[in-house]
Amino acid sequence: MQTRAVRIRHALIVVWTIAMVIFVYLPSLSITLASLTSSRYFIFPITKWGLDWWHKTLDSIQIHQILETSVIIAAVVTVISIILAFFGALAFARYDWKGRSWFQKVILLPIFFPQSVLGLALLLWFNAIGLQLSWQTAVFAHLVWIVPVVTLVISIQVYSFDPALEEAAFDLGASRLQVMREVTIPVLMPGIFSGGLFAFLLSWGNFPLSLFTTGADTTVPEYLYAKMVAGYTPGVPVLGTISTVGAVVILIGGYLVMLALNRRRRADAG
Amino acid sequence: MVGRDVILYLKGLTKTFAGHKAVDAIDLEIHEGELFTIVGPSGSGKTTLLRMLAGMEEPTSGDIILRGERINAIPANKRPTCMVFQSLALFPHKEVGANIEFPLKIRGVAPAARKQRALELMGLLRLPESYYGRSVTQISGGERQRVALARALAFDPEILFFDEPLSALDYKLRKTLEKELKDIHRETRKTFVYITHSLEEAMVMSDRIGVMRDGKLVQIGSPQEIYSTPNSKFVSEFIGDVNVMPVTVADNGTLTSPQIPGEFAAPSIADGLRDGFLVVRPEYLRFLSEPGDADNHVPGRLYNEYALGSRIQYHVRVGEMTFVLEKLRHEAFQGKLDQEVLIGWNAADSIVVPDQ
Repeated sequence: MQTRAVRIRHALIVVWTIAMVIFVYLPSLSITLASLTSSRYFIFPITKWGLDWWHKTLDSIQIHQILETSVIIAAVVTVISIILAFFGALAFARYDWKGRSWFQKVILLPIFFPQSVLGLALLLWFNAIGLQLSWQTAVFAHLVWIVPVVTLVISIQVYSFDPALEEAAFDLGASRLQVMREVTIPVLMPGIFSGGLFAFLLSWGNFPLSLFTTGADTTVPEYLYAKMVAGYTPGVPVLGTISTVGAVVILIGGYLVMLALNRRRRADAG
Repeated sequence: MVGRDVILYLKGLTKTFAGHKAVDAIDLEIHEGELFTIVGPSGSGKTTLLRMLAGMEEPTSGDIILRGERINAIPANKRPTCMVFQSLALFPHKEVGANIEFPLKIRGVAPAARKQRALELMGLLRLPESYYGRSVTQISGGERQRVALARALAFDPEILFFDEPLSALDYKLRKTLEKELKDIHRETRKTFVYITHSLEEAMVMSDRIGVMRDGKLVQIGSPQEIYSTPNSKFVSEFIGDVNVMPVTVADNGTLTSPQIPGEFAAPSIADGLRDGFLVVRPEYLRFLSEPGDADNHVPGRLYNEYALGSRIQYHVRVGEMTFVLEKLRHEAFQGKLDQEVLIGWNAADSIVVPDQ
């Protein structure tokens, strides 16, 4: 009786898990299917299969431009947010200072702001001080939201950091700069690395902030939205697939890099 | 064996945290080449004191004088001293060799010379050469201890500080490493300043011990002096089990206690001490067959006995009080629980100390 109950429970868990996986991944898969048509419109079931729209999209100068804009924004956001968030995380989790608990709350607040409102507010603010909107203002907008996230990601690593490591290095004659280079940064590297991944991917996929702040420049999510509203072609799911696959590749690539680093460390040790 | 020259001199050293004196006007001379241990319970200020000596905490007032030079304001990385931390603080991303070489790398020593020195130190600390490239996360607690010590020795400090580095280890390993550390001290002839909360640990290793309480050094002396002539109830109770009984000194020089009836013969007592505590170590208390076998005797009841390896400990109840006796195993007392026994001690084997 009991074994039967266990079996049923086990079966339910399996069914539930498969259902969730399908529910989460089917839409992304459908995008890819929708891109593999040769017809002009979205017709289901697909009658004429083909890679025509993939060729068209990959040859398009406009699409190159858009991908380039998205990559540049994400890359610049990654670099700046790693630097800001690294020091922010030290203030967040390493040092005890007056006002720290206040800082911890205030720095995390922007994560919970509705992004469209934040985008609008930044747009008004850029206008007020007379800044020309471009990918650079979008970088700033992305930073407002992403730096807090990355700060939190790196802080988690900092919490497990033994401050005595820095003191020991300092005591052994290292200057503050040498302590940072020889101990603090290498020990916190896994956190910094995952913080960087977060920064890139959050910027890469961001729509609401870009919509308000890129001006004449266009990012991938903006383009997808604009084309959906007016002028759908199967080029939209092609770019959508590229965008998703790009994110997955970066994520898996990052994971592999971490794995390789760990393995090398272990190999050195053995 | 120990040089007479003073290497480190502390004068009125004080550290205040939010109005609380963690370290309170400490005066101390540490001699060249000695192994000096500061012992105290947690919260006694010993860690704060050590951190000031190492340069990680700035004194509120007083002087730290190293070989005649006042070093109060010199930061840790500019001091010729080095510390072995409680957590050991081995760099987890560096291998054993790179950890040991760290101070040499900072000093700009060439890689080949660094490696040679690291291997020398590994030899001194009996770490196998094959450990050079091993990760510090993959070696045992005792080996990590040796790596931390090797790294500190690579710095070639004038004084080595130890912040309870053995406290996280199990008993057996701790006992081994205590002796090993003393051997390393003998080999290197450097000045070691060690802090611990275990007076037992201090006894094993130290040339001299300073007992700390509430930010003050309450007694400084050799292990022998601290053990046999503690200057207060606090110090006497700090090592293991001890018999302490409140006493009043009568005009004729004998002792009376509110806890046990009778008068007791007293050892020589400091002038003016009226109310104090009689201290008798467990090994000086004896089971008597005749009342006349010792200067003082008390009838009691054998409550229990405990085997402590080479010794056996007995608890004897006398009224409300429990006396602790210890005998070597081969001279064990043959008695039954609840048996009436007579215990006693000679006046010369006891001391009378004040509370503080």
